[in-house]
Amino acid sequence: MRIFLMTFDRVLTKSVVKSGLKRLFLRPLFLKQASLRRGALVLTIALNSMVSASESVDARVDCDLSIDTVDCGSAYSATMDRSGKLWVSYVRDQHVYVSQSDDKGKNFSSPVKVNNIAEDVEHNGENRPKIIVTSEGEVLLSWTLKTSNRYTGEIRFARSNNSGETFSEPKTVNDDELKVGHRFDSMFLTKSGHLYLTWIDKRELHASIQAGQNYAGAAIYYAVSDDYGRSFSPNYPVSSNSCECCRIAMAPSGEDGVAIVWRQIYDEQIRDHAFAVLKPEGKVSLSARASFDDWYINACPHHGPAMEIAATEDDYHMTWFSNGNLHQGIYYARYNAFTGVSDAVMQVDGKPGAGHPDLKEFDGKLYLVWKGFDGKATQLNLIVSTDNGQTWSSVQTLYSTEFASDYPLLVRDKDALFLSWHSNEYGYSFSRLAGQWER
Amino acid sequence: MSMATLLADWQDNGNVSVSRIENFIFGVSFLLLSQLPRQLAHADSLEFLTVDNFEPLTAESFAKIKADYKGKPFLLSLWSIDCAPCRLELELLGEQKKKDASFPLVLISADSLEQRETAFYILEEYSLDGLTSWMFADNFSERLRYSIDPNWYGELPRSYLFDASHAAFAHSGVLTQQQLASFVETLSQ
Repeated sequence: MRIFLMTFDRVLTKSVVKSGLKRLFLRPLFLKQASLRRGALVLTIALNSMVSASESVDARVDCDLSIDTVDCGSAYSATMDRSGKLWVSYVRDQHVYVSQSDDKGKNFSSPVKVNNIAEDVEHNGENRPKIIVTSEGEVLLSWTLKTSNRYTGEIRFARSNNSGETFSEPKTVNDDELKVGHRFDSMFLTKSGHLYLTWIDKRELHASIQAGQNYAGAAIYYAVSDDYGRSFSPNYPVSSNSCECCRIAMAPSGEDGVAIVWRQIYDEQIRDHAFAVLKPEGKVSLSARASFDDWYINACPHHGPAMEIAATEDDYHMTWFSNGNLHQGIYYARYNAFTGVSDAVMQVDGKPGAGHPDLKEFDGKLYLVWKGFDGKATQLNLIVSTDNGQTWSSVQTLYSTEFASDYPLLVRDKDALFLSWHSNEYGYSFSRLAGQWER
Repeated sequence: MSMATLLADWQDNGNVSVSRIENFIFGVSFLLLSQLPRQLAHADSLEFLTVDNFEPLTAESFAKIKADYKGKPFLLSLWSIDCAPCRLELELLGEQKKKDASFPLVLISADSLEQRETAFYILEEYSLDGLTSWMFADNFSERLRYSIDPNWYGELPRSYLFDASHAAFAHSGVLTQQQLASFVETLSQ
């Protein structure tokens, strides 16, 4: 049994522990929290394949006392390497950390600092460090460094070629040397070994301001590395007039390209989604509007899309949020890159509080998770499609918590599909949704 | 949390063999000590922050704010330090406040209170640091958003023009000059 101290103030915790009263005073609180957790834990194991998620939710430690744990950060990302090892990155106290697990999230290695010198790493739902492990075992990290309170930032990258023991000094990937916004990084490694970094960039806005011209929003830029991040190409433009504050979704396009979906500004007022295919040499093609929600808003939705390549040719599954005139809530569609047409458009959840979906395919089934909120508790919901997104199962609630929690993310390896999620109640949890797996 | 609840919770836990007397002693000590951190934390924060006018916004705060404005119109503006368009709205509201110091304005930052220093400097830029305003008390933002408006999805800036009966017009995106002007007009009626 571990000590659970979430509601304890830092000052009290230290003073109590120092004065040797730990056993006397911590026990009642621990018991209180233990009973509270049992009451709040709702695990609906309705899917036959959804097993033993409770195994990974019982780790909870006092984050004021222990630094050496994966449970006490924010803005998590996760990936599986070729050998089935889980890698998790997160932010704590101006450092990006990486921790590994040989048993799919039951036990974790001591976290390793990626940036040795503290820097203001962005760590919110839309801005989280990204982690990729190459087939050769190199560990690649990207994140956004906040450089002021005026929405400026830099796209940072670091790599490890000794299995995450140490990391290279972080370098900045945006090459304009301007103190403007370069934020909301996303990273993707293609089968051909091309590493793509794409982000929201304000150099065009800056140039327009200098020229005394109006400019709506920001822009999308990218860079490519063909040596796993030892060097990067020049920055390439993708699109002008993007929204300023939503994550960019990425998926493969052929062997060496990527498809991306992001929130774009149309007619200076509408913030719907755009699609494009990027190639290693800087060529951008198939640019088109991918969602028609007609969301007239001059604001930051802080609500980016997710995307997954479909089994059918040129198709992509996408899920997103809108509060437009035509669509409100979480939506799903299957978008065809060549025709530019979305099929099977469906409202996933139109209830207030619904948000932050992710989706992944596994073993011919499509899994879509998102967060709901009923006024008291956050629910992590799941629907499954067995026919390429044409029809969907009823909603399964996987977790419910009355504490703050991060976005849900789906992670896949060749054997299984997992849910990666952090909450203040359960700490970091990694649980299997489908497939074969033994701890 | 009442003493009775505490005791009941411990006793519900069948794995633990502590006597009722022990429970009682733990409970009293805990309740006494639990008051301590608030004092200390408060003293702590004063050390590095001079003066600001932020109050923590809990799930109960907005109902209290509305009660304070009972029978009176007010403008609620929601913003965050991470939201660029919010600056335009803060600028507009700062100018309005300069014109009319009694303008009924409620500002809520959707950032957690830990970021109060940054939020303070932003409000200072628009001369809005003088009025009491609120920041999210914790990072369970879904719950706090819901306590203000279940139909608010978190987009910013978001504003509400409350009339005297507290019927509200909600607007996502930067408040326009016209929207503000027509609200100001209703105040003088």
